[in-house]
Amino acid sequence: MALRQRPLKEERMSAAADTAQYIKRFSLYRIIEHWVLAVIFVSLTATGLAQKYYDLAPSQWLVLNLGGIDAVRIIHRIAGIFLILILAQHLIAAVAGVLFRKWNTSILITKKDFTDSISSLKYYMGLVEQPARCGRYDYKQKFDYWGILTGSILMVITGITLWFPIPVTSVLPGEVIPISKILHTNEALVLMLLVAVWHIYNSIFSPEVFPLDTVMLTGKISRERMIREHPLEYEQRFGAPLSPDDDKPDSSSLDRGGTKE
Amino acid sequence: METEGTKTFGKRKTCPGLILSLLVFGLIVTCIVMPNIAGATGGDETQQCLECHSKQGIIIRFRNGESETSVINAGQFRSSAHGSISCSSCHTDFSAKSHPARIFKSFKQYRIRLSRTCRRCHNDDQLQSRPVHIALLEKEREGNALPCTDCHSAHTMTPSAGGKLTKSESDYCMKCHTRGLNMTFGDKETVSLAIDGSQLRSSVHSDLSCSDCHFGFSSKEHPERTFRTGRDYSIASSQTCRRCHFDKYSETLESIHFAQLNQGNLDAPVCIDCHGSHSIQKGRTEKLRSAKRCEKCHQVIFSTYAASVHGKALIDENNQDVPICVDCHKAHDIGNPLTLAYREHIPEMCGNCHANKNIVGKYGLSTEVLKTYLSDFHGITLNFYKQQTDKLKSGRAMAVCTDCHGTHDIHANVGRDTAIIKANLSRQCRKCHPEANVHFSDSWLSHYEPSLHKAPLIYIVKLACKAFLILMTIGIALQILLHLWRYASDR
Repeated sequence: MALRQRPLKEERMSAAADTAQYIKRFSLYRIIEHWVLAVIFVSLTATGLAQKYYDLAPSQWLVLNLGGIDAVRIIHRIAGIFLILILAQHLIAAVAGVLFRKWNTSILITKKDFTDSISSLKYYMGLVEQPARCGRYDYKQKFDYWGILTGSILMVITGITLWFPIPVTSVLPGEVIPISKILHTNEALVLMLLVAVWHIYNSIFSPEVFPLDTVMLTGKISRERMIREHPLEYEQRFGAPLSPDDDKPDSSSLDRGGTKE
Repeated sequence: METEGTKTFGKRKTCPGLILSLLVFGLIVTCIVMPNIAGATGGDETQQCLECHSKQGIIIRFRNGESETSVINAGQFRSSAHGSISCSSCHTDFSAKSHPARIFKSFKQYRIRLSRTCRRCHNDDQLQSRPVHIALLEKEREGNALPCTDCHSAHTMTPSAGGKLTKSESDYCMKCHTRGLNMTFGDKETVSLAIDGSQLRSSVHSDLSCSDCHFGFSSKEHPERTFRTGRDYSIASSQTCRRCHFDKYSETLESIHFAQLNQGNLDAPVCIDCHGSHSIQKGRTEKLRSAKRCEKCHQVIFSTYAASVHGKALIDENNQDVPICVDCHKAHDIGNPLTLAYREHIPEMCGNCHANKNIVGKYGLSTEVLKTYLSDFHGITLNFYKQQTDKLKSGRAMAVCTDCHGTHDIHANVGRDTAIIKANLSRQCRKCHPEANVHFSDSWLSHYEPSLHKAPLIYIVKLACKAFLILMTIGIALQILLHLWRYASDR
C-alpha cells in the first residue's frame, strides 16, 4: 500500500498544480440515491447472509443480537421493500427523465463497450499502448450498474416469491419456490461479488483512487482524472479538443504505461 | 393325644420265614455292633429306629388323604444339630419297645403337634430372643400356629443361631419366605410374601443379600412394619433402590411421573412398577420387554405404536434397531413430550438413527433426511428457535419430523404410491398453512437432494447458477489482478 501510495501522491500533487479544478459529475439526487442504496444493500446482505450461512458463528451472533430469526426476516423484508421503492423510483425517474427532460442515455450498453473491454484487456496484457477511450461511463462502470440493476430486479422477484410462497404456488407450480431460493441466494453472491469486491476495489483499493474515490461524496471529479478516464465525455462537454497544456501531465502518465515492454 | 388307627407299612409283603431269619441276623449284628456304639447317647435306640426308617418305602397316611414318606437320611440326621439326641427324645411315645399306631388329621396338624415337642427344650423366652419368632408366637396365640419344622426342618436341622451355618442370609430368609406367608396392610389388602427363589436367583440382584434392600431386617432383626396400603409400601420401596441407583433415582426426580406422584397421583409409576422387585432383569437387553412395561399403563399408545412401522418390526420380527418408548421418551427422566423444548429436540432424536448409515442403511433408507431438513426453511428456523429459547426466551413451535410423519403411528413411505404420498403431504402442509393448495407441497423436495433423477429442473438451475458464479468470480478476479499488474509494471 505504502509503495503504491508514494507515486500516487506525487502524481496528485502535480495534477493539482496543473489543474486545481474539479468538474461536477453527479447531482445531489444521485449521491443520496447511492448512499441510501448502500445502506439498503448492507442491511439486506447482513440479514440475508446470516440466513444463508445459518450455522456460522457470526450469523448466529447477528441473529441473536438482532432479536431472533423472525426479527431478522422482518428486517430483511423491510429492507427489501425499500429496495423495491428505490428501484421503482430509479426506473420511473430514468424513463421520465429520458422522455421529458432529455436526459442523456449514456448509461445504455452499446457495441463500443464490448470493443472497449477487449481493447482494455489488450492494454492490460501489454498488447496495445493505450487503454480504450471512454465516455461518461466506461464499460466497467456499466457492467457494475447493469449487474446491480438486473440483479436487484431478480432479487426482488425471487424475494417476493419466497416471501409469499402460498399465493405464488396457487398460480405457479411448486418448483418455483426451490428455484427461487437457489436464484435468490446465488444472485446474492453475485451481487456481493459486484459490490463488495469489484465496486469496493474500484472505489477504494484501486491504486488509481486509493485511499478513496471521493466522487460519490462530493459529486465532483478532478479535471485530470476526467480527461484520463472519461476523455470522450470531456471532449463532448468542453467542446474543444484537449489543449497541449492540459494534455501534458495526462499523456505523460499514459506514456509511462506505453513505454513499458 | 388323639391317637388311634394304624401305621401302615407300604409295599411290605414278606413271608414270616424271611422276617424270622432277618430278626436272627439282626440280633447277631446287634450283638457284634453293640459294644462299639453303646457309648454314644441314644446310639442303640437311634440305630434301632433307623434300621427301618432309613429305608425307602415307609409312608405315613393322614385322614385327609395326604401321605408322606417317613424316611430319614441317617447321615444327615447324625450331622444335624440334634444328631446326638435319641429319637424318643422328640417322638416321646416311641421307644425301642413301643411303636404305637397313630393317625392324624393332616400332615400340618402332625407337624404342629410335633412343634410342641420342640417347645419343651426351646422355651418362649429363648424363642423371643429372635425377633422373627415374636410374630409367630403372636399367631400361635391367635390359634394360627406355624410348625417349627417349616423353617428349621425336622431331622436335618442345623444350628440356626445367627444363621451362621446357613449358606447365606438369603437362605435364612428364604426358609420362611418361600412359603405362603402373607402381609396385610392397613386397608385390609393382603399380599403374599412368598418369593420365587428361582426368579430371585436369575435376577440381576442374585448376588445381593435380602437385607441389602430390606434394610433393618437380618437374621437377628425382623421389625414389624405397618403400611396403610400396598401402594404406599411400593412407593416407599423406591427409596430402597435409591441407595445404590442414585443416578437413576435423581433422574426420575425430573420426570413427569415423579411430578404426577408429587401432585398426589399415587398410580404414577415408581421403580418397581417397571422393573419388578425380586425378578429384576437387565433394562435394555430386550426391547420388546422394555416396551411392554410402558404398555401396562399406556395401552392405547402402545397399540398405536404396535401398528406403526417401528412397532410392527419389533413385534413381528423382534427387530432390535427400531426405537421403543424409552428411546424417544427416555427411561428415567421422562419429560413432558408436549413442551417446546421436547419438540425442538425431535429432529436430533429421529436423526440418531435416521442419519446413521449403520442403522437405517440396511433398510434402504436415506440418511440425508436430517441434513435436508436442517438446511431447509423449517430446519433453519428451528435451529435458531432452539438457541432463542435459551438466550432470548422467545420461540414458537416449528414443524419437525413428527408433524408430517406422525409420532406413534409412523408409517413407511418407501414403496408407497406417489399419488398417496403427495395427497398426504398436502394435507400435512395444510395443518400449518391452511390456504396452501396442491402445488405448494411440490415446493418441498421430500428430503431429496436435487439430482438428474430427482427434481432435474432444480438441479440444472442450481448447476447453472454455480457455473455463472464461478465464471463471474474468475472474471472479476482476473480483471483486478491484471489491472494491478499493469499499474505496477507501468511504474
